[in-house]
Amino acid sequence: MTATVPPTENHDGGARREAPARPTARAWARENLFNNRHNSVLSVVIAAGLVVLTIYGARFLFVTGQWEPVRTNLTLLMMGTFPRAEQWRVVVQVYLLCAAVGLVWGGLTSSSRDRARDAGIPFSRARLRDGIRRWWPVFVLLLALLGMTRTWLPLGFVASALTVGVVARRAMEALGAVWRGPAWFFAGICALAGWQVVSGTGGIAWWWGSALVAAAVLRTTRNVRTDARWQPLARFALIAGAIAVVWAVYAQFDFSGVGWDDWSGFQLNLVAAAASIVLAFPVGLAAAVGRRSKLPAVRFLSVGYIELIRGVPLITLLFMGDLFLGFFLPTEDPLSKVTRAIAVMTLFTGAYLAEIVRGGLQAVPRGQVEAAQAIGLSAPRVLGMIVLPQALRAVIPALVGQFINLFKDSTLLSIIALTEILRIRESIHGQREFLIVGIAETLVFVAFAFWALAFTMSRESQRLERRLGVGER
Amino acid sequence: MSLSSRNAASPVAGEPSVPIVSSWWRRTGFLSAIWQAALVAGVCLAGWWLYGNLVENLTRTRIPTDFDFLTQPTGFAIPENFGFDPSLPIWRMVLIGVQNTFLAGLVGVLLASIVGLIVGVARLSSNWLVARMAQVFVEGFRNTPPLVVIVFFSFAVFSFGPLPVFPEALDLKLPGSDSNWLVLSKSRIGIPSLSAERHTGLFWIIVVCGVVAAAGVWIWRSRRHVRTGEPHHRVLWALGTLVLVVIVAFVTLGGPYDWALPARSENGRRLISGFGTSAAYLSLTLALALYTASHIAEVVRASILAVPKGQSEAAGALALSPFQRYRHVVLPQGLRIAVPPTINQYLNLVKNTSLGTVVGYADVTNLTRTSIGNANPAPQSIAVLMGVYLVFSLVISLLLNIYNRSVQIRER
Amino acid sequence: MTRTDTATTKGADDQAMVTLEGVDKYFGSFQALRDIHLSVARQEVVVVLGPSGSGKSTLIRCVNRLERHDRGRITVDGVELSNDVKTIRQVRRLTGMVFQQFNLFPHLTVLDNITLAPRQVRRMPRHEAEDLAMELLERVKIPEQARKYPGQLSGGQQQRVAIARSLATEPKVMMFDEPTSALDPEMIKEVLDVMQELAGTGMTMICVTHEMGFAREVASRVVFMDEGEIVEVGTPEHFFIEPAEERTKRFLEQIL
Repeated sequence: MTATVPPTENHDGGARREAPARPTARAWARENLFNNRHNSVLSVVIAAGLVVLTIYGARFLFVTGQWEPVRTNLTLLMMGTFPRAEQWRVVVQVYLLCAAVGLVWGGLTSSSRDRARDAGIPFSRARLRDGIRRWWPVFVLLLALLGMTRTWLPLGFVASALTVGVVARRAMEALGAVWRGPAWFFAGICALAGWQVVSGTGGIAWWWGSALVAAAVLRTTRNVRTDARWQPLARFALIAGAIAVVWAVYAQFDFSGVGWDDWSGFQLNLVAAAASIVLAFPVGLAAAVGRRSKLPAVRFLSVGYIELIRGVPLITLLFMGDLFLGFFLPTEDPLSKVTRAIAVMTLFTGAYLAEIVRGGLQAVPRGQVEAAQAIGLSAPRVLGMIVLPQALRAVIPALVGQFINLFKDSTLLSIIALTEILRIRESIHGQREFLIVGIAETLVFVAFAFWALAFTMSRESQRLERRLGVGER
Repeated sequence: MSLSSRNAASPVAGEPSVPIVSSWWRRTGFLSAIWQAALVAGVCLAGWWLYGNLVENLTRTRIPTDFDFLTQPTGFAIPENFGFDPSLPIWRMVLIGVQNTFLAGLVGVLLASIVGLIVGVARLSSNWLVARMAQVFVEGFRNTPPLVVIVFFSFAVFSFGPLPVFPEALDLKLPGSDSNWLVLSKSRIGIPSLSAERHTGLFWIIVVCGVVAAAGVWIWRSRRHVRTGEPHHRVLWALGTLVLVVIVAFVTLGGPYDWALPARSENGRRLISGFGTSAAYLSLTLALALYTASHIAEVVRASILAVPKGQSEAAGALALSPFQRYRHVVLPQGLRIAVPPTINQYLNLVKNTSLGTVVGYADVTNLTRTSIGNANPAPQSIAVLMGVYLVFSLVISLLLNIYNRSVQIRER
Repeated sequence: MTRTDTATTKGADDQAMVTLEGVDKYFGSFQALRDIHLSVARQEVVVVLGPSGSGKSTLIRCVNRLERHDRGRITVDGVELSNDVKTIRQVRRLTGMVFQQFNLFPHLTVLDNITLAPRQVRRMPRHEAEDLAMELLERVKIPEQARKYPGQLSGGQQQRVAIARSLATEPKVMMFDEPTSALDPEMIKEVLDVMQELAGTGMTMICVTHEMGFAREVASRVVFMDEGEIVEVGTPEHFFIEPAEERTKRFLEQIL
């Protein structure tokens, strides 16, 4: 508890001053643990405490801990009541998502490598050792999960899924810049397919497909000469045609799937958090821009929304969603429970995202807007091409932080009787053989699952923050 | 500042190189008015539609649409509150809930501040082990859902933990005596409390006089410092005066208060003296305090690091002592950075007390939920609940704004 | 008060590029511009001088509508500034502006900074815009920096990129708002050289600057402002050698 500056060692004559690289263990300990009497006592006491704790902890983990409830119900905790016959969908989805993530990751690495090369900034590729150091909580979680399974199948699954991701990433890095555009599109297709293999072709998924196709059309026609009058019209027609094709293709298939109402377990925590943050992003962006608007009515509405939501706990909003959100709609059959919960979490997150984005907007100097205006950009372009890219880049770490919060808050869904992981843990102790067995163990398992992911994400976002800070200037 | 008179004017004399058409509908003022009108109309329409649906659905399902239910009897007992009569109206129940929320929030805030401050300073310790342990604490609690921690305390530590049930509670005796200082059990924990013995009114009057006297001493020392330049030590002087007055009053009045040590009744089923807290309350406050402390520790650390080193060096160059440097240069600047995020954390803690619902703590959210379960109208109940939290938030952000403004004025 | 509104020393045709007639500008109750009358002819280089807070920057910021004037008329190349969104965009396309703080976009490379306006405003295809950008970078003598980010360049290089970026919209008037004030002394010259060269090509320019050498050598006219009004206008010879107004004399005494 001493914040004193360590005194420089002047009593040993400073023999090896010219080699500051790595101090010997002895020198290091003297510098950091025993630099004065006070600290020495403190170090010894804490070290003794740590030894006791480690022994106790290790005994709990490997000897006394009753992990049987977790082991028996591992699938239940992870996937909940997801229909067992449909599990293959999730397996395929994981492969597809791994491929998509690998493609995107590889694309990002190689494009930032190219840009760094153009700009003459040194670029170092991440190594496997760094990866393990940075991601160890996730690996420990994976190992714990695999260690508790009874067959080799899951190990094979995890290993092959990771391989798919790594191969996709490597392939993306190996391919030249020319392939990057099509590969983005392919990653989008993978993600879309991954979604649809679970949710089926019904619902709103085809909107995403259409957006993807439209983006592809826009991108490929970007560099076509544009002085012709009919050009925007032609593009529009092209996009409409492509969307019509997508729609026709979708109409051909009748591939029904599992809606998110059947999702439960840890999956539900992840899906609810991810869906809410994605859906909340446009809401937050609009509210943030609205709060800084010059128009008083827009500002007033934005401030009202943001402050109202931020002033109340999430749980009161979840009660609202659970008890009477359906009453606001004229339909006789109400929205499903999960849909209402995700709608409420979106509404909730939107207000927090708005404040985060506002912070980013404030960080963009006024001169940037003026310069963009002076070269003749219109107001939407000033916002979209100059202000937002800078503002959003500055708030990426905060966005990750908000996602972590939302992920942690997804446990609150248990209060409105959604079967997310905490609720499932409770139900495990309703099983006759586990009534009072391993209460602490199941909780430790759940806590660790959250901690491993949240901790890794928060550390990655801090790393990103540092890198963005360095790359900017 | 109106420009309207000139807008209709055609371009200046001499032919313009770019043809321009000035249309009334492209004027900036008109465009913004249209935007706002459209938006407001849209929001109003949507709101009206939603409200209409709500009222219609409520009438269809025969749920009342007014707030009359607040005066109806509550109809259920409140856990841990033996004085509450179930026939009291619901608004009284809400008040009890607010009180309980406040109780959990206050103790949580105090604990979180103390732990957060210690851990935050420890993270900057020169002792590697101390700094690392503090980091483990912060990263551990910050990245675990608070609800899981609450449930862990409630179930793993208390309900299914190693403690005995209340009738066989663990009585921890004071050394060399037969009375307890702590009574531990799965469901209730007894701690010592103060019991009023005699002359308490007089005692408090004297304490108030002591505060006035301390203020007087404070002013006297400050004036003297300004006049003569000698160190004022006004904190020491004022506190000393107050402590002296309190001790003298306590002794001469023959001990107006005494410790009431926790004791159980003959059959061991009731706590007959001392202060009893429920396991639910302890789980909630401890878990939230630790969770919030991990955030406050980061605030403390960041604030200390945020004061530029040059500031301390400049103060040192003026020959200020280390304490003076800290007191007059580093602390005021660090505090200015730390106060707003800390208050935000306090607000979060108060909002998070609503998680007490899970472990059965009778906070305002839990009581409202029970009351909705007793067939009271949900929309209005939730509206009241949100109103309570909004008032809390607004008061706190008002205080924060006042603080920020005063800081801004001092900065000029 | 000496005014030589219509006097032009350079330029073949007499049609003004920029005119301000009776322009007032308030910031709240503070009057930043008082009844400004100024006309800038084609190919003329006008240098605006004056103590800080005299309204020099406000003057040029009104011309491209970064600030809204409250009274009077401003025309650029025959287009009168009004509240009409379209005319504002036209005027901004006709004018280029260089800022004291460069205001390059830090998230874009030098090349992207320059090609942004041609591609977005003038809808130029990418390769054409990049050819144009490289040409402009040659002109400001830093073609080798095209792929770098603004943060990697020195102040003088950044300001030259900013000039190239403004030129990429092919403006008819260039306005400079103290372009060298944020630069280290050794970098000032490289920027002034570029500006002088630009003046040599016949570009109409309005420069707010403290560089007296530049004013003397390059300016066709010098405008002296104080407390929001134009005190004196004249050729550099006249202005620096025999100023008519007392305020001008005092100002010149202080800085020379």
